[in-house]
Amino acid sequence: MNTFLLALTVLFAAGLFPLLSCRHFTLMKGGYLTLTGAGCLMGLYAILPALQEPLAIRLFAHSWLQLFTLSFQLNSLSAFFLVPIFGICPLAALYSFHYLDDPSHNIRTAVNLFFFNILIISMALVTTADNIISYALVWELMSLSSFFLVMHEYQNEPTRKAGYIYIIFTQVGAMFIFATFALAYSASGSGDFTAFAAIPGSIKLVVFFLALVGFGSKAGIFPLHVWLPHAHPAAPSHISAIMSGVMIKMGIYGILRLYLSLRVTELIYGQTVLSFGIISGILGVVYALGKHDLKKLLAYHSVENIGIILIGMGIGMIGVATDNMVMASFGFAGSLLHILNHSIFKSLLFLGAGAVLQGTGIRHIDQQGGLIKRMPTTGKTFLVGSISISGLPPFNGFVSEFLIYYGAFQGLLLNGSGFIFSMLAILALAIIGGLAAACFSKVVGVVFLGEPRTEAAARASEAGRTMTLPMVILAGACLLIGILPGPFVQMVMVGLSSIPVLSPVGTEAVALLSSKLALAGRLFLGVLLFALLLRKLLYLRKEISRGPTWGCGFTQPSVRIQYTGSSYAMSIIDFFRPFVQIRTRYSGINRIFPDRASYTTRVDDIAETAMVERFVTPLLYLLSKLRWIQHGHIQLYIGYIIVTIIALLLFI
Amino acid sequence: MESTLSLAIALVTAPLFPGIILKVKAFMAGKKGPPLLIKYFTLFKLLRKGSVYSESSSFIFPLGPTVSLAAALMALLFFPFCGAAPLVSFHGDVIVLFYLLAMGRFFTVLAALDTASPFEGMGAAREVFFSTLAEVTIFTVLILFYRLNSSLSFAEYFRGESPICLLNTSGALLLFVIVSLFMVLLTENSRVPVDDPATHLELTMIHEVMILDHSGPDLALIELGSFYKLFFYAAFISQLCYPFQPADGPLNSLIFYGLITLIYVTVGITESIMARLKMNSVPQFILTSFALVFFAAILTMGVFQ
Repeated sequence: MNTFLLALTVLFAAGLFPLLSCRHFTLMKGGYLTLTGAGCLMGLYAILPALQEPLAIRLFAHSWLQLFTLSFQLNSLSAFFLVPIFGICPLAALYSFHYLDDPSHNIRTAVNLFFFNILIISMALVTTADNIISYALVWELMSLSSFFLVMHEYQNEPTRKAGYIYIIFTQVGAMFIFATFALAYSASGSGDFTAFAAIPGSIKLVVFFLALVGFGSKAGIFPLHVWLPHAHPAAPSHISAIMSGVMIKMGIYGILRLYLSLRVTELIYGQTVLSFGIISGILGVVYALGKHDLKKLLAYHSVENIGIILIGMGIGMIGVATDNMVMASFGFAGSLLHILNHSIFKSLLFLGAGAVLQGTGIRHIDQQGGLIKRMPTTGKTFLVGSISISGLPPFNGFVSEFLIYYGAFQGLLLNGSGFIFSMLAILALAIIGGLAAACFSKVVGVVFLGEPRTEAAARASEAGRTMTLPMVILAGACLLIGILPGPFVQMVMVGLSSIPVLSPVGTEAVALLSSKLALAGRLFLGVLLFALLLRKLLYLRKEISRGPTWGCGFTQPSVRIQYTGSSYAMSIIDFFRPFVQIRTRYSGINRIFPDRASYTTRVDDIAETAMVERFVTPLLYLLSKLRWIQHGHIQLYIGYIIVTIIALLLFI
Repeated sequence: MESTLSLAIALVTAPLFPGIILKVKAFMAGKKGPPLLIKYFTLFKLLRKGSVYSESSSFIFPLGPTVSLAAALMALLFFPFCGAAPLVSFHGDVIVLFYLLAMGRFFTVLAALDTASPFEGMGAAREVFFSTLAEVTIFTVLILFYRLNSSLSFAEYFRGESPICLLNTSGALLLFVIVSLFMVLLTENSRVPVDDPATHLELTMIHEVMILDHSGPDLALIELGSFYKLFFYAAFISQLCYPFQPADGPLNSLIFYGLITLIYVTVGITESIMARLKMNSVPQFILTSFALVFFAAILTMGVFQ
């Protein structure tokens, strides 16, 4: 039996184990962890050959219900997407050992662990599905299992609401994907992805755009991202880490897979993807600046990073369309590497957010502060994740953004629209980079630095060992890819070799550039070390004392005078005013002896308000007009059925 | 050898030039002003002292000065002074360098937030906002340069067959670049009209308020880092003004440092004749610099078609 399928079987067994042993809480988690770890390691071992050289292995093909064929195939591109699945998921499972630590919730925990493994298996199958029926089946399996994971704390009203929003989005998205597949099937007469290349051009356009909506709602492309900021705060943190770090990438995989199967080379595809990338990237980070619930903020950063990934992909597609292979290689390489990088630092940040949540019980960042002294490991790893997600060298986020920049600069030599789009991509990346750094200096500064703003924050203590260990490993991976990008870029290039139109011209260029980049990263670390040593030297035999912070003449400071995250971000959000709604309520001071004044501000998502006002409310109104059909008389319902059958018999 | 020497000269002389600004400002105000070497004296004074650290601060606090100094040093390592080959260079290094400067800023901001001071938080918020806008201008400049000679590193910009220079073909576009880079220089190095390094009211400061709690050698490292950063931007602009040929030798250095002095004098004059802008009109100032280069970049579409 194939190692890959064996790994999935072990993972399934690992998922069943907690259901059978849920009476013994620690044994259940321990056994689950061992089996899941073993399954994921086997999975990594199975995909290893496909990561080293381009190849395709047929995993499984079986006829189902006489009519359909289920077939799965592992190629180098899917192997690349499998790296985060098998690499990050066991770390999240390890984290859950101390995170889900309430023995009275043993059944619920067992169900959570079961669906977690179903999610891993279904994601692994999504990346390997080779025809539309298998794809649609495992896609639904993935959506449903993640829905149950979001609903873990179902007794809370907001969690249930978030779960319903998620299931609606994911099912409407699936509807679009099924429409895509149906259209492609009727036009090509085959359910194989390879047959899609034969579809006529105009239908290809419709197929691609339907798929962009369907997969985009899973990935969180800007106007379709509404479920992310609801579902992520509601789900347990290790689930958010996997959903945001790994699962939404399946949407990106879907777009990429379809693009490759359709073999389209028109400019319009690249331009559309690039435009969506720019919008998601900039607005994602602007809304993240405006949000002060730690996990909601991270959810908006997922929208931003999906934007960066799409910008890279759009640059790659424009490169293919204009026959500029260097541009295409750099664009796709940066995009794929950013998928891996984002899965690492975003899961790190979500795990850190979970540790903060467990340590303090507070979601709002303006009530925290000074946590780096109380939770040193969480603080340091969160700092590493923040630098990486801001795309600052020498960490991993910069490597992939740099490759995308480089590809976009190649596109500047094009004429006309190619130049304009490349220029917009570069400017968007620059704005996103600056704003992301602003946002994460806000988060790190307000949550981890300074003085605790509330009692709860002051009482926080470090999370358990199994929670900090995964964070340390992920932080190490961030630095490793940052200063040794070579092997990872190589892995990306092997994955890219499955793109038929890309001739290998770009490969050496990318490898050469990544080695130079690594050199710059190490040089910076060297200079930094020099500066640290210099500082150490300068402080030899110097008098060092501690005192209160300089209050600029104010002698009665309290922790409440610290700058808050809301004020920190306000001037930036205000700059983006037409695209962001800011609601402020200020009680005002209108008497000589004023009462307690209050001031609140809220940043509303325009996509969400527009969706509610323009679509959901009219739809509900319309449907309420049809409510008379539902009256509760059973005989009339039977009448409906008979009338329908007669009508069908007469007319069809 | 030549590269090492020119880098060493730059590293040693960088603290001299801010003294020129002070001299010019004093002259315009009809005063005598501090000695030219004032910044060296300040550095030595700071280096001899000890430090007082805030009780609120953590291990992040001392990282602010060191990371920002390291980032500024990196920028100088990659820079071709008066046409000499830089110590390190590769195609694409400009992006790395501007991101490294952002890294330095990130840690300065974190060190400011580490002190739990409301004033430092305020300064940090302004710094990240304005520098994000300035970054957009810089990347538009890079876009324009790529259109002009498809290069992406300082060495390629200013060396080789067709260096980017005011005196070469399409130098007219560089007039826009020089003006807007000067505006970026004022923004990024916290000079008037964006920020006032001489003000004494913490509420109105940007950069100075962020380093209120640093003292002794830490403050010296910050000062040194900011001298290097200012020198880097001045060197960038002066390279745009004159095409340095490696063959010219000592003459090059003379012209180079002459141009740099001129830029610092201009900064001094600007500071003397302008008041600082209101905080909410600073974004307009920076966006003006963006509009200028963006216009120049759009013009290249016509030039090459």
